[in-house]
Amino acid sequence: MKGLLWIAGLAGAVAVVVLVLMIFGLLPANTVKLVEGYMPMQMLFELAFFVGVFSAISFLLNKSGFPLPRFWQGIAFIAFILMYLKYRVYPPIPFSVRAMYGTVTIVGVFMWMSGNEEDWRKFKQPILNVLDAGTRFHKTLRTGYLIGIPILLWGFSYNSFLPNLDEPIELRTVHPAPPASTKVHGKTFVLQTSQNPYRVNPEGKYDQEYTNAQIVEQGMGRLMKPNANPWDPKAEGYLKYVREGGEIFFQNCHFCHGDNLNGRGLHAFAFNPIPANFTDPGTIAQLQETFIFWRVSKGGIGLPREGFPWASVMPPWEQHLTTDEIWKVVLFEYWHTGYYPRTWD
Amino acid sequence: MRNLRSRSKLILILIAAVGITMVSGSAGVWTFAEEGSGSGLPEGFKKGDLPPLPPAEMIEAGKRVYFTKCVWCHGVDGAGDGPSADRLWPRPRNFNQGTFKIRHTASGELPLFDYRKPTPGQNDLFETVTHGLPGSAMPSWEGILTEEQRLQVLSFVTTQLVKDRRYDDKETETLTMLQLDSIKPIPPSKESIEKGAQLVVDKKCIECHGINGRGDGNAFNLKDDWGFPIQPASWHKCWNFRGSRQDAYNVKNIFRTFSTGVNGTPMPSFADNTTVEERWHIANFVQSLCERDTNGEPLPIDPLTDKPKVNFVIRSGPVEGDIPDDPQHELWQKRERRIVLFGGQITHKPRNFVNRIDDVWVRSIYNNKTIAFMFQWEDRSKSVAEKKLPFQPTEVNLDTYGIKEQPPKTGEPDSIAANQNKYTVYNDAFAFQFPVKWQELPPPEKPRFLWGDEKYHVDITKWSADGSLKAFTGSGWDQDFEDRDDFTEKMKLLKAEWKDGLWTLMIQRPIKGDYDEDTYFEMGKYIPTVFFAWDGHNGDIGRKMAVSAFYYTILEPPIPKETYIYPTLIAVGVVILEGWVLTRRANKKKGKI
Repeated sequence: MKGLLWIAGLAGAVAVVVLVLMIFGLLPANTVKLVEGYMPMQMLFELAFFVGVFSAISFLLNKSGFPLPRFWQGIAFIAFILMYLKYRVYPPIPFSVRAMYGTVTIVGVFMWMSGNEEDWRKFKQPILNVLDAGTRFHKTLRTGYLIGIPILLWGFSYNSFLPNLDEPIELRTVHPAPPASTKVHGKTFVLQTSQNPYRVNPEGKYDQEYTNAQIVEQGMGRLMKPNANPWDPKAEGYLKYVREGGEIFFQNCHFCHGDNLNGRGLHAFAFNPIPANFTDPGTIAQLQETFIFWRVSKGGIGLPREGFPWASVMPPWEQHLTTDEIWKVVLFEYWHTGYYPRTWD
Repeated sequence: MRNLRSRSKLILILIAAVGITMVSGSAGVWTFAEEGSGSGLPEGFKKGDLPPLPPAEMIEAGKRVYFTKCVWCHGVDGAGDGPSADRLWPRPRNFNQGTFKIRHTASGELPLFDYRKPTPGQNDLFETVTHGLPGSAMPSWEGILTEEQRLQVLSFVTTQLVKDRRYDDKETETLTMLQLDSIKPIPPSKESIEKGAQLVVDKKCIECHGINGRGDGNAFNLKDDWGFPIQPASWHKCWNFRGSRQDAYNVKNIFRTFSTGVNGTPMPSFADNTTVEERWHIANFVQSLCERDTNGEPLPIDPLTDKPKVNFVIRSGPVEGDIPDDPQHELWQKRERRIVLFGGQITHKPRNFVNRIDDVWVRSIYNNKTIAFMFQWEDRSKSVAEKKLPFQPTEVNLDTYGIKEQPPKTGEPDSIAANQNKYTVYNDAFAFQFPVKWQELPPPEKPRFLWGDEKYHVDITKWSADGSLKAFTGSGWDQDFEDRDDFTEKMKLLKAEWKDGLWTLMIQRPIKGDYDEDTYFEMGKYIPTVFFAWDGHNGDIGRKMAVSAFYYTILEPPIPKETYIYPTLIAVGVVILEGWVLTRRANKKKGKI
């Protein structure tokens, strides 16, 4: 048991050192990788790990006769969480959210500290010691605080009173409410009743079940089903339409939406709002196929006000593609991401 | 541990060497050649063994990866002719000849690939797939494909799609590895960089890469092995280096590319005619040219895009007196510059899939009457239309004049591949737009990024390389501009100079004009701004151009008095609070005693 604790403690110390080195850029920031798509789970797991090893370290310090005072344990833990949220989590979370997490952490630590009378006394003892200034050391410290705190606060408030010239924050609705129907190339499509004419079984009938069975598999890589290769020269029907849709996608759409449909195309870096990431479960997986058809046909310029039509560079694809081509591209996007289009029922 | 591993490696090499020697019968020539000197190998290189071929099940698994992910660009037969190929520049790799750009192996050799070990520095193709090729459409597949899937797909590519060569052909293939890990780098001292600066002249690097390394030396005559036009790299944008491995400022990558050359392109290996020391000097010099911030620190690179991080606010700083027209003037040099990133205009026809201008540096200052901008961007050529253009500067719908979008298929006469470097030359140009009457916009509404819309008009300032600087009104992407001659007269072109691959453009305009027509600046307000750029040698004209996202221009206000008053009040308050706490504590203690 003791050996295990030692290992945990050492592992924790190493992990903290690695994290700090990564934060200061002394080790490459991807030494411990953040796995794409699993970031929240990984974050919880890592934090749980750190809490565990901290307990081990604290226990070991106690055992070996160098106990860390409660007060400093609490401070160190709060500092650790704040640093972790700021530097480790990627993509970065905004300050307001971090402030919320930070407050929750402080409250939590406070509750931990004041759990019983004994702990609470231990916690406030260092503060009282400084206030009373019984020793020379504490006297110096107190003088330092008395002078330092007003100066620091002056600096902070000066900074916050400086005119803020950051980019203004604007909230955009990525998937605004669609219209009831849309007219493309002279034909009216009612969004509730229209169907993708290429989502068909070998008999040529609209068939969700048949086509859903042939999309790529979920899981790392999102690879195609072994016997459902759209590039097979013998591929007919649905799979052939997928390939044709893919050809159109890679001649037109991948510049922004990317080779892996994750919104990281060749031109994506220049644009704001950034192109949609279709592999994210919050985009096409949440939407009906006809919604995508409408969004693709009418593009950024066809969005309602809350979708920021002035800023989106998404082309109104009816200017570039035929209706059939648009349906095929939609078909391909669902195939390649391995998602089912949402249905109306 | 390390000792053990290197020993087992040595044994492996010995066994393999003996094996190969027996097969090929060329004993003793290179078996124990540790370093290049004296062995006939270039300095810093060492002979290696051909890797084993991957097993059939890995190849089969890789085929599945290839036909899900790669076929769309690299094509069914790996000939670099997938559906996307012709609208990309650089084009996707043609695997058939086994020609790969980024390698640790000597010029002309196959790159390192071993299906068993994805070790950095020992598996070139694996690293290419992992990190992608920045500056091209090849993305980083890390986090998308697992390590195993990446090795599988490479097993498929190297055995099935590399058709003219075989990795295990001991008759024709050799493997000479650059020993990048064991060569000691020379630190980028001032002397080293100075030596490098001289060496790039002596070694004729500047003939292609240009006097200032902006890729403007021989920009229009270079072709790759397949006859497609390519262009020399700009040393100032290290984040676009294909071999940067998502570590743009790492000098080792430059050293490697310089030592091994770029197969399939006119970039040779300099291993034979430079010493290792000289190569470090050159690499240090090239690295020193890459853009940096005002403190000389590397720019922060966004790992998702492999481009410098962007701040969408362009801050214009207050100055007293006249605005200088010399870009080297202290008032300009003191201003922080901000990078504006550009993509092709791919929203309306004619779309620009291959934009050659991908970033512009902007500085701005203002005095009580005027605001001035300095734009600097790389362009490999100064382009001025040879003849008078048949259309008016206000016209935007140019399809009737034959300005059409290129079809997506290679081989078609109008395709991008057929036209690259052979376009009709138009004027280089630059423009930016602000909303007219932005004060009345209900936030967050703005006029559309592409020349405004019917409801909200924009104030467009456009400069062309023929020397014209004009003010227009825009009212939609397909609506012809309207001249604003009154305002045109009030604007001033401070400077427009193309030198060694860099345009410097300085434009000054009044802060206030006619409220109903011209954008009226106010201090401390965010003015939505969009930038446009045309490269005349890319056939850019009309809507075929590069375009930025929405940025904001803001006139920095001087610091108000409140900024000093309130913090002082707060600090005084805190001092009083401290006194109160201490008195209370002291009283309490007294009471206790």
